[in-house]
Amino acid sequence: MWEAAYRFIGWRSYVFPAPSHVLDGILSLLNIRTLLGDPVTAGWPWPKSGAVVGAVSHGPLLEAILVSCTRLLVGFTMSVLIGGLLGLLMWSIKAIDELLGPLFLGLQTLPSVCWVPLGILWFGINEKGILFVLIMGSMFAIAISLRDGMRTIPPIYRRAGLMLGAFGWRQYAFVLLPASLPALATSLRQGFSFAWRSLMGAELLFAAQYHGLGFLLETGRSFADVAQVVAVMAIMVLIGILADRFVFAPAEQRVHRRFGLMMAE
Amino acid sequence: MSSSVAGILGKTATPAIARGRLELHGVHKNFDGTGVPAVQDITLDCRPGEFVVVVGPSGCGKSTLLNIAAGMIKPEQGAATIDGKPITGPGPDRAMVFQDHGLFPWLTAAQNVEFGLKMAGVSRTERQDRVAEAMKMVHLSRSMGKLVHELSGGMKQRVAIARALVVNPAVLLMDEPFAALDAQTRTLLHQQLQELWVETKKTILFVTHSVGEAVRLADRIVVMHTHPGRIRAEIDIPLAHPRDIDSRDITDLVQRIRKEIEDEVNRVNATLAPEDQWKPKAAGDLVDSASDVGSGI
Repeated sequence: MWEAAYRFIGWRSYVFPAPSHVLDGILSLLNIRTLLGDPVTAGWPWPKSGAVVGAVSHGPLLEAILVSCTRLLVGFTMSVLIGGLLGLLMWSIKAIDELLGPLFLGLQTLPSVCWVPLGILWFGINEKGILFVLIMGSMFAIAISLRDGMRTIPPIYRRAGLMLGAFGWRQYAFVLLPASLPALATSLRQGFSFAWRSLMGAELLFAAQYHGLGFLLETGRSFADVAQVVAVMAIMVLIGILADRFVFAPAEQRVHRRFGLMMAE
Repeated sequence: MSSSVAGILGKTATPAIARGRLELHGVHKNFDGTGVPAVQDITLDCRPGEFVVVVGPSGCGKSTLLNIAAGMIKPEQGAATIDGKPITGPGPDRAMVFQDHGLFPWLTAAQNVEFGLKMAGVSRTERQDRVAEAMKMVHLSRSMGKLVHELSGGMKQRVAIARALVVNPAVLLMDEPFAALDAQTRTLLHQQLQELWVETKKTILFVTHSVGEAVRLADRIVVMHTHPGRIRAEIDIPLAHPRDIDSRDITDLVQRIRKEIEDEVNRVNATLAPEDQWKPKAAGDLVDSASDVGSGI
């Protein structure tokens, strides 16, 4: 419908690209030249001159995805470790919760790009700065949701554990940690979407040495290439959906099914 | 079956009968520090191998009593000892069966039973043997690999009992373990628990609000009353185990004890201000018959 509207009404492609333009954009980022968005004539959709396929592996898109995903992996891991630890501390020590709880709730509502200026001033325009924004943008959400999830653990598990000799670190390792799995899974799922959004924001504003997806988006804007801008946005959404669909949602479902929190399908 | 029980008990040096004396002496607990204490001046001596059932209405402090024995609650006054040693905290020598089972949902039935042995550092091969024996004792050998939510209510409680027995405790503490079950399942578990008790000769301290359940199971019934929680009567049940749970003797005893409890309630009622008094509309209202043991009682 989108494509039809474009073809018949005649929107201008530099304002609002049709799906075919977006597809062209994606393919050109992979070093494949097509003109799917042009009127259908002889030779469509291939370009009239020049090589159709360049070195796909050297296309900016693959590199950007690789760079962004690496950053995400590193940053999200650190965010989970720091946020998880803080969440545990807030859950187990009341004084820490009273001190940090309201602060974290406030910081959680702060849009992650607001950490960018501080990241630049503290770390400069480099990987550290980007990771800083990613971690700051996601760890508060992880800490808060982990704490809230841990609070829903029925106290009877702890009592049953004590009765069976699970004291000290054993209580954490064999009772509280497994009991927190449903909370942890939800917290990770939520934390991931925060992390991905923060990373994209950071990459958009940091022109670091390695070019992530956010940078490609910014390049598209610089060249007024609307097709590329929409193409990169589509890729971002796709990665977010894929990660949720194939990693976080199944993990959460598996835990819930094991715990009997969900009807067996 | 007795050989499997001997197998479980034989692995620890002390025979069960020689240990399991649970003593509470002048125990007093007041949660909010003011007003009426939850339990007041409770003295209770459970002999090794004795099946003691504490019966009383909700709020009489019977669960508090059990939690003091378990070491989950510290009394303000008085002493709680197990085989002469003061109780300072929870531990596997006083294994507990909870009303809402408290099984770990992330583990299978067998892994739940194995948990206490794992904490005690028992070797893997011995763990496997003892878990298999314990599951056999509660007739759940075929459900070892099931997850907790795949078990029925009665099965969950049997796993909970196996989990408590497998660590070879001196005393088994049971906090209204069958209150949430349907009447048939409850009757079945009463029979199975009696068999287990006859075979293992564990000291059992069992808490319930059901007089029928108490008479079916107990060597000795301890009747508690509320505001403050105190022991008002101790009644020996001189019937042999395992009991025919629907026999005339049991029915008569249940009626006698209910009468005593009713008299006590009326006595307490009379001391209250008129607007706080409560009159039963029909006989049986005083004891929660609906959640009590089968209709014959």
